[in-house]
Amino acid sequence: MIIELHEFTRVEGNGKAEIIIDDGEVKDVRLKIIEGPRFFELLTLGRHYYDVPDLEARICAICYLSHSVASVLGIERALGVEVPEEIQLIRELGLIGELLESHALHLYLLVAPDVFGYPDAIRMATKHGELVKEGLALKSFGNRIRVMVGGREIHGINVKPGGFGRYPSVEELERVEKESEALLRLARRAVRLFAQLDPYGARAEHFVATDGYLWGEKLVSDEEGEFHYTERIEERSLVYSFAKQSRYKGEPFFVGALPRLLLKSEMLTPTAKRLFEEHREKLETGYVSYNNLAQAIELVYSLERAKEIAKVLLDRGIEGENVPVEAREGEGIGYVEAPRGVLIHHYRIDGNGNIAYSNIITPTALNHAMMEASLLEEARKLYGEAEERVMIQRLEETVRAFDPCISCSVHLVKL
Amino acid sequence: MMDNLKLAVFELTDCGGCALNMLFLYERLFDLLEFYEITEFHMATSLKVENHYDVALVTGTVSTQRDLNLLKEARNHSDYLIALGTCATHGSVQASVELPIREKLKAVYGDEGNPMRALDSKPVVEYVAVDFALPGCPYDKNEVYQVLLDIAKGVEPVKKDYPVCLECKLNEYECVLVKKGLPCLGPITYGGCNAVCVRSGLGCIGCRGPLPGEVNPAGEYEILKELGYDDKYIIRKFKTFARWEP
Repeated sequence: MIIELHEFTRVEGNGKAEIIIDDGEVKDVRLKIIEGPRFFELLTLGRHYYDVPDLEARICAICYLSHSVASVLGIERALGVEVPEEIQLIRELGLIGELLESHALHLYLLVAPDVFGYPDAIRMATKHGELVKEGLALKSFGNRIRVMVGGREIHGINVKPGGFGRYPSVEELERVEKESEALLRLARRAVRLFAQLDPYGARAEHFVATDGYLWGEKLVSDEEGEFHYTERIEERSLVYSFAKQSRYKGEPFFVGALPRLLLKSEMLTPTAKRLFEEHREKLETGYVSYNNLAQAIELVYSLERAKEIAKVLLDRGIEGENVPVEAREGEGIGYVEAPRGVLIHHYRIDGNGNIAYSNIITPTALNHAMMEASLLEEARKLYGEAEERVMIQRLEETVRAFDPCISCSVHLVKL
Repeated sequence: MMDNLKLAVFELTDCGGCALNMLFLYERLFDLLEFYEITEFHMATSLKVENHYDVALVTGTVSTQRDLNLLKEARNHSDYLIALGTCATHGSVQASVELPIREKLKAVYGDEGNPMRALDSKPVVEYVAVDFALPGCPYDKNEVYQVLLDIAKGVEPVKKDYPVCLECKLNEYECVLVKKGLPCLGPITYGGCNAVCVRSGLGCIGCRGPLPGEVNPAGEYEILKELGYDDKYIIRKFKTFARWEP
């Protein structure tokens, strides 16, 4: 017998799941990504590197800037370009804006209705209007940062190899400094709210993140030092899904907010670090549902870090100089922490500056096996114990905890 | 008081941005709720209560059999259907990969391909008649807001019929094509975005699709040739968001 979970709601993109029952027991779970394939690597082949970040941004709307930045990092490494700290800080600020926008969307509009028992945030707003408003305030602040760094709210084209089309102004940075301080209170309230939830889903055993907080030169895991994805992560196609599945040393692993906190807590800002310590015991159990608590702590981190960066840039003044970029043959990998986890853009460029090879692996594809493991665990716990309707609701919540971005997960290429 | 209009948002294969952009209306989304009741919008709600919609917004390309079924369902059950965003109106980037679908799938999923039913990505307008087409990757959210208000008030929304250049000039941005030699598709692209990319000092990449009528793509082609861009580059640039002409 197969219990079908119909298309997930309150997630980005289209996916569903099947629970396979045999002999009165849950035997297996299949997470089916039914969003059509989108062929983004094929799209970039033969294209000039300069145009590629704008195209790759379109893999995902919620985290377009993570894609532009990962793409730019891969291209710059392939071309041997190094950018000064100013450009790095502005990019980081953009990624922080994206984290705020995406986490606020996820926590307040997609997850909170589960917490309060509503089908959506619009209907939840009748009773919990204040909370919805707080979420929208955080989200729109994140979006304003994305406009400033990325050029617009969705699919901006301002992030380029070697720098930016347009640099932030003093007034814009002053506003970031002021508003991030003002919003901190709301983020701390979110931590209190999401800390109350009971754990569900599986306990992850392997965690992977980039070596810097929001981007890096390499990846790190809980059990070893730095490595390139090609050394430890394997992808395979599935017969029942448009997304491939990745495994770390043959096993499911977890990328996202919780792995970031567990692997890189020493990089956190003061209040975020204190909140992490306060909830450390809980987070270290590794339950995937604590990803939501981790996201709330990252709202605090993002606001504190945005303020820090704005201050540094204001103190030293913005030069606004791009680094010259010249076409040459090369290969490079860009690693970025998209809001929902590690994002990999890998390119080879030919002597004319055109893309000769590209491989992109998104966080949702990396988490695919972990999502299945989590569904299996939860289905085994609830099957026969709870009403089917209750079980299905909880399974959907289990998937939602990952903040999956299904649209992004469906175009992995092997060439 | 009149009953609110039933509004549905359907997502076919895309990046999620056109649905997300509705949420980016923030408090203005609540203004729209004075006129509309959202009865289908799977990114935002778990509720699905109606099977008749006064207005249906369809985003994305038709890339699977599921997409096609969903599109037909949307068309059959709605009075007024809007193809929303460049995927729905022109196919956008995912339709611009010019290889047979079988070869594309093989490149992605290996020798056996993938047994799931994938179709070559095409815009919504290739399959069904639409009542309004609003391009943009993503569309400008002010524009969708205005269109939905117009419909609620019984006014037929107006289609933009001028190039990006017009809004660029109104904003007094420097012409990046003439002054910087950047490849800018502003002269031949549907306006309505308020020339947002030129604001960053960068060229328009044509994400709202080609403006039909009295535009001069041949002239644009000549200018880019003179600036030193080669044929292949220019043609690919022209076709990036618009392999399919509506």
